Amino acid sequence: MTKESPIEVFMPPNILKTKVGGTIAGLDMAAIKRAEAAMETLKVEFTDWIAKDIARLGEVRDAFAAAKAQGTGDDLFRASHDLKGQAATFEYPLIARVASSLCKLFDELKSHDAIPHAIVDAHVDAIRVIFREKIKDISNHTALALVEALEARVREAVERASHKD
Amino acid sequence: MSGYRFDRLKILVVDDNQHMRKLVVTILQAFGAIQIYEANDGESAWTTLRDANPDVVLLDWQMDGMSGLDFVRMVRTSPQTPNPFVPVIMLTGHTHIDHVRQARDAGANEFLAKPVSVKAILTRLISVIEHPRPFVRTENYFGPCRRRRASEEYRGPERRSTGVTTSLDDPPEPAQDKHFERTS
Repeated sequence: MTKESPIEVFMPPNILKTKVGGTIAGLDMAAIKRAEAAMETLKVEFTDWIAKDIARLGEVRDAFAAAKAQGTGDDLFRASHDLKGQAATFEYPLIARVASSLCKLFDELKSHDAIPHAIVDAHVDAIRVIFREKIKDISNHTALALVEALEARVREAVERASHKD
Repeated sequence: MSGYRFDRLKILVVDDNQHMRKLVVTILQAFGAIQIYEANDGESAWTTLRDANPDVVLLDWQMDGMSGLDFVRMVRTSPQTPNPFVPVIMLTGHTHIDHVRQARDAGANEFLAKPVSVKAILTRLISVIEHPRPFVRTENYFGPCRRRRASEEYRGPERRSTGVTTSLDDPPEPAQDKHFERTS
């Protein structure tokens, strides 16, 4: 029988509960409505925010194209990761999906040297087009076809790389 | 109505993207929070943790420099940590189950996949307030118990010498860690 290492389990005092007081009976719908109303007021800024995020993506893409290195690749991954997480909130779900596809390319191809510039560029260009054309509808056929084509190219690139390994 | 006094909580929001920080801060303010601290990287978050001693941390994963994962590990295990027990809610664009496991294994209390929603943030806050997890110290881990729910459903044998009985967390635990195997 294997001897297990000692495990200490303890419950720290619940300081949070003491501080906030109150009791909870389901979600506080009034708080949710207040927060949703607050988010509505932010919506006027969303276009500006996502424009800045896309501009940043373009900058780091250019830096990556000029010097394919760990640092520039990491910057590009983070910029696309930001868009993956935020674009849907900013009312551009298809941009989030394209950014997710770009993240997958970086996630799956561990070496940044193996990342094809053409596929990166295609993703960045698609994001720009979706934004320029203000395509917020997730069922837009043309944009969907573009997104699916990009996802297919990423799958192919990942598959090719796995055969080389 | 919960009657929660979120105004009494000090909340630290760490994200290198200023837009996401503003979004999260706006939501927290709508919940009633007023003591909100912001940091745009792990290093300044560490300084704020030391200086302001926040009650809860909402933490992004992907940041330039110190990642959110590194930060939460430091909070839990650094000899210099101001508060190893502070609840950490990890906000991230990562959605794969492996990332959930990594966040949990680093010591995060809750995992919140972006895009964020008002309801999801409130749910995670309520979770750390109402259902705090016991802390566990093992040879290679210190942090919140990685099993989620205290449960009366558990019917398997007792696995810990301390006698704490819990059900097993979702996601499924890594098979190599025998303390987190699914046993029933």
